[in-house]
Amino acid sequence: MTTMTTEAGNGAATGGTPLLQLRGVNKSFGAVQVLQDVDLTVRLGRVTALVGDNGAGKSTLIKGVAGIHAFDSGDYVFEGQTVSVHNPKQANALGIEVVYQDLALCDNLDIVQNLYLGREMLSTGFLDEISMEERAAETLAGLSVRTVKSTRQKVASLSGGQRQTVAIARAVLWNSKLVILDEPTAALGVAQTEQVLRLVRRLADRGLAVILISHNMTDVLAVADDIAVLYLGRLTAQVDAKDVNHSEVVQLITGGELVKEGGKVVVTDPHDTDLGPDPDGPDPTPGQTGAQS
Amino acid sequence: MSDQMSEPVASSQELAAEVTTDEQARVERAAEVAGESGPLQSVRRNEVLSAMLRNVGLVVVLILLAIIGTLTSDNFLTSDNLRNILVSSSVIGVVVVGMTFVIIGGGIDLSVGALVALASVWATTVATQDYGAAAMVACALLVGVGAGLVNGVLIAYGRLVPFIVTLAMLVSARGLAAKMADNRTQIVRVQTVIDIARKDVIGVPMLVVILAVVVAAGWVVLNRTTFGRRTFAIGGNPEAARLAGIDVRRHTASLYMLSGLCCGIAAVMLMARTTTGSSTHGNLYELDAIASVIIGGTLLSGGKGTLIGSILGVLVFQTITNIFILNNLATEVQMIAKGLIIVAAVLLQSRTTREAKT
Repeated sequence: MTTMTTEAGNGAATGGTPLLQLRGVNKSFGAVQVLQDVDLTVRLGRVTALVGDNGAGKSTLIKGVAGIHAFDSGDYVFEGQTVSVHNPKQANALGIEVVYQDLALCDNLDIVQNLYLGREMLSTGFLDEISMEERAAETLAGLSVRTVKSTRQKVASLSGGQRQTVAIARAVLWNSKLVILDEPTAALGVAQTEQVLRLVRRLADRGLAVILISHNMTDVLAVADDIAVLYLGRLTAQVDAKDVNHSEVVQLITGGELVKEGGKVVVTDPHDTDLGPDPDGPDPTPGQTGAQS
Repeated sequence: MSDQMSEPVASSQELAAEVTTDEQARVERAAEVAGESGPLQSVRRNEVLSAMLRNVGLVVVLILLAIIGTLTSDNFLTSDNLRNILVSSSVIGVVVVGMTFVIIGGGIDLSVGALVALASVWATTVATQDYGAAAMVACALLVGVGAGLVNGVLIAYGRLVPFIVTLAMLVSARGLAAKMADNRTQIVRVQTVIDIARKDVIGVPMLVVILAVVVAAGWVVLNRTTFGRRTFAIGGNPEAARLAGIDVRRHTASLYMLSGLCCGIAAVMLMARTTTGSSTHGNLYELDAIASVIIGGTLLSGGKGTLIGSILGVLVFQTITNIFILNNLATEVQMIAKGLIIVAAVLLQSRTTREAKT
């Protein structure tokens, strides 16, 4: 019942051990194939940003990982083992936690009650408030969260950044190995975004694998180690964040491809080949937030 | 009523402090861990205090009502009358315990009065009475739980609006009761059942003891178990509760079964008290129960409320009724006054909620 997972994971520098590998994953809803032959590798100790335009399949991909909608086919390899994840409980048991975009907190409950909702600690059949309160305080302290006045504050009284913090703390409370964050900074101001991004970075530095979904390229480049790009249901690129710049990521999102040019990897401009911008195409403006993906 | 409630603030702090010692001990322990004892304690203490203050306010309302009762009628402050208030509160009080759970869980149960009637009729049929007291009690409880299950399944799995489902149950359960009893009042012949209302436990009427036990059990379940915690969560944000892995539908269904169980218990108490089973029993209980819960400070929209508040609400409502009766107020006037009191309570609640939000 330790607060955090192992300190294992080889840190960021050389790319930690693969925790989750998806190989050739497919998912259709009726006639619509949302994910097509997707390969994704998520490593311990690294933040993997999952980017892509609206409708590219990001949500479907993480819902598959989280067990909400199981994949139709393909391999789901977790810690080197091929596993099948068909419901959220199985994902939780593996150590996968999702922080949803709309936060999924109960405003009428306090921080401790929210952290433990659905998985309350008991002693002799009754709620063990003291242990829950102590561990909540430890977890928040472990995440270097100092902005929350009291663990017994109602969530309704918290700011957006604090709520996000609680939601993230909720995810790491369970010896989780992989934390999936869906647009964690979408509704936040500048200072709070900064705060949450630091927290995301800290999760990875502590050895967890993190998948970060974001539309904000500034956030992505600030915090991510790897960038995985989804385009129309295909994973078109998974690159080291150091190897790409802002506009290259945007090009990848809008349909650009990685090509080798004289030993150097470059990104093609999707608009070079097309006759002008695709009318149905995405708006590549960074910082576009709040949209469902 | 708001004037009356603002007075007690100063005088009641001692009482509030005493009751919250346990809570504070917990808070202090956690505060040490967090290393920030100051704000942690004060936030929690304020919260506990505000809930306490509301209940203390209700106690003061009760005291004021007692003063009004004593001034307007010589018979009010007699042991017989006080006993009468407690006993008449006990039957509806048990119903209110179930209602509090349902409303905190974001629902409403309009069928409680009809379920009490149906359970009382079913348990007093000749066939059931032949099997003796235990069978009658079991029958009443089973009818309550069974009807609650029907409510719960339709609401939780059929995704129907609680208001409509329980309204339909109100009509059909009373109809079924009338049909079973053939529109006659059925007499309880089993003495053991009648004795429930005649016996005292160390000077306290058995019916009041039953209420106390139900309230105590309900309080523990609501405040000290995962069931209670999840009831608050579902009432506050059902989607978040679902994402947290709670089976919201099963939980919702069980809330209505719990309410049905309380109706079954109340039916037994009413059978003992009136020595009859009748399809007219528990008339307008839904109104009294919902009014008591609201007076007690539970939010109609769910997610917030206390059981102690609800019981104090019952006592306030029953004391008002008692004073009306002692002063020979016509039944029609009583009904009008009750309606006004409910409106006042809801107004007061929406005002305090708005203040709390700003």
